[in-house]
Amino acid sequence: MKLTQTRFSTIEFEKEDVLTFSDGIIGFTDCHEFVLVNSKPESPFRWLQSIEEPSLAFLVVDPSVYVEDYAPDMPTTTADELGLEQETPRMVFATVAIPPGKPEAMTLNLAAPIIINAVTNVAAQVVIEDAAYTMKHRVFQEANRVSQKTAA
Amino acid sequence: MLVLTRKVHQSIVIGDGIEVVVLEVRGEQVRLGIRAPKDVAVHRKEIYEQILEENRNASLVRPEDIPE
Repeated sequence: MKLTQTRFSTIEFEKEDVLTFSDGIIGFTDCHEFVLVNSKPESPFRWLQSIEEPSLAFLVVDPSVYVEDYAPDMPTTTADELGLEQETPRMVFATVAIPPGKPEAMTLNLAAPIIINAVTNVAAQVVIEDAAYTMKHRVFQEANRVSQKTAA
Repeated sequence: MLVLTRKVHQSIVIGDGIEVVVLEVRGEQVRLGIRAPKDVAVHRKEIYEQILEENRNASLVRPEDIPE
């Protein structure tokens, strides 16, 4: 059992909970070890909490909660790096952006999911080359679509 | 910035393990081939910057804004 003080609370984790990102996460490549922490009980949202940098945690969610048939094609080199074969159990998360005070404007990054080999806990952020998946996938319909178009 | 002129099928070598080859030049587009060790991540810069931005955004979410 290990304890780390994060920006939310003190968390407790076991060695076998630690996810290893050998390449780090884009923009944060000095951090290689993370754990998944529930944001609230029963919530699909989790914090991908850095062990090395307690103030660093990314909000993530299983994209299938909001996106039907999310099945990105992973580059074979990435599958090899993660040791993923066809049948290997895995976890997939998308990073979540929520502008302060505007949960309705939440977006998921479907083009660079976090993929975890659930057997070995080896993990990576993977770039998906598929125009169907954007980095700012809006989850909730906009009340006023015209203003969205103007903003874009 | 170091500036070098290369022709198609010529390459540059960076350090010990990285090679960038000019494969094709067509109008304004240049196709490059990159040979690099596995632990060197190669990204299109604009893609890299967008991912960085979204990662940063995900690290700044306030717990009180997370939907129920």
